[in-house]
Amino acid sequence: MKSAWTWFLLAPPLALALAFFVVPVAYLFWVSLHAASPSELYGASLTLRHYTDVLGDPFYLAIVRRTVGIAAVILGLCLAIGYPVAYFVALLPVRRRMLAILLLLFPLMVSNVVRAYGWVALLERRGVVNTALRDLRLTDAPLELLYTPSAVVVALMTILLPYMVISIANALAALDRRYEEAAQALGASPARTFLHVTLPLSTPGIASGTLLVFLLTLSAYVTITLLGGPRSKLLVSLVYDNVTAFQWPRAAALAFVLLALALAFTALILALLRPGRVQGAGR
Amino acid sequence: MTGAPTAGSMLRGVATIVAFALIVVPILIVVVAAFSPNDYFQFPPPGLSMRWFVEFFRLDNMRSAFALSVELALASATIATILGTLAALALARRGGAAGGLLQSLFLAPLVFPTIILGVALLLLYKTIGMPVFAGLLLAHCVVGMPYGFRTVLASAQALDPALEEAGQSLGAGPLRTLVLVTLPLIWPGVLSGWLFAFIVSFGELNTALFLTGPGVTTLPIEIFSYLQFQGSQLVIAAASSVQIALIVVLVAVIERIVGIARITRAR
Repeated sequence: MKSAWTWFLLAPPLALALAFFVVPVAYLFWVSLHAASPSELYGASLTLRHYTDVLGDPFYLAIVRRTVGIAAVILGLCLAIGYPVAYFVALLPVRRRMLAILLLLFPLMVSNVVRAYGWVALLERRGVVNTALRDLRLTDAPLELLYTPSAVVVALMTILLPYMVISIANALAALDRRYEEAAQALGASPARTFLHVTLPLSTPGIASGTLLVFLLTLSAYVTITLLGGPRSKLLVSLVYDNVTAFQWPRAAALAFVLLALALAFTALILALLRPGRVQGAGR
Repeated sequence: MTGAPTAGSMLRGVATIVAFALIVVPILIVVVAAFSPNDYFQFPPPGLSMRWFVEFFRLDNMRSAFALSVELALASATIATILGTLAALALARRGGAAGGLLQSLFLAPLVFPTIILGVALLLLYKTIGMPVFAGLLLAHCVVGMPYGFRTVLASAQALDPALEEAGQSLGAGPLRTLVLVTLPLIWPGVLSGWLFAFIVSFGELNTALFLTGPGVTTLPIEIFSYLQFQGSQLVIAAASSVQIALIVVLVAVIERIVGIARITRAR
């Protein structure tokens, strides 16, 4: 009786998750193992060619490396800026902290295409930055700020920064201040207290912020395209290009290379930071 | 963070001001640009005008993209929240390996690269022949369901089981208990889940990128293709400001009804 009721509740959401999440992803993997076909979505013969092509081709490898490189820079900047900001926010009194978090949450709800457009308006040839530089007589000709890897880094970093700040601020706000007081009372300097007490206790926040920023960077096709233009393509751009060229098995293989990158990074972060060892960190 | 506490707190203060400026300025620029009276955006603006908003609602493709985005967000948020609520109620008191596995499955779309989901669904739809709107709706249900699931799960786990048992022992069946006892108690969780699913659908890019079709386009994708093929015209700023305005209203609603504290805990 009890279990029949549970299954009755569970059946509709489970059906959606299986039919439109698990099955299509499994089907995509199946297609990635097939030869290309000029007339069908994919050919009849099984092959690993698309994976060996991607992993053996210097063009693809260069783009995979660029993707990892840009993601690493974005991540480094998010951590370097996000940690002190999170610390500042976590030390605010409750009401002002809530206000700060609301201010950080709001941009996350605005569509990324709008936020990317804001950066386009700032950086384009007749944009705000170039106009200001001209009016201040600092430049003669407009600077080419848009369609560069730096534009992608700056825009994506600021778009994703609130995730990092909120994750770390939540971890720091939940931290028991008595640990820090104990360290200081035992003679540790503020720097030592931070390195040996505060920082390790905030690793769950660092881990979840890091994972969010990295995973969302991998998928950020629209921001990368608008800010990076045709010359600063990343792995996700290759997935899209192959879909629009109807190269289904190759697009599928590239999608799974992207997924493998995401999984490898997740495993690395969990192994390095071991967020589970901080008590009460389980969400 | 450093030796002297004043240096550390100064660094934190400066970092906070820089970070908030970098996060907020691009959004403010869009809103200011939308009120430009000229053909090109000048800063500081020489005056204020509503002409780009008039232009936005005059353009058929913009107006219909906006309408489609609202319909899609309303429908997908409602379906996603109902399904998420069912899943949360089924799993709220269920531990064990099976319960844990199902919980991970329902939360997975939050961390799964949505661009891959978009490609996978497009391929599936091409194989089975799915109509464009239905396909988009189902994709947004998958993306939105974790939000309803997570907020309701938190509410349901905080619920005193004695209340439901009381309902059952007084002779109410499971359905009556659900409607008369459980739902009124978990209502804030359901509502905030719905608002989140709405917001996510309304701004969603990565599945819509693949699943929109000719004549069936969402506002974010319409903005994206305009920027790509027609350059940054100020009607885009107006379209973006409409997007931002709707989010502002929804955030105010969330704050009034459920309070912002619930959201930060759910994050």
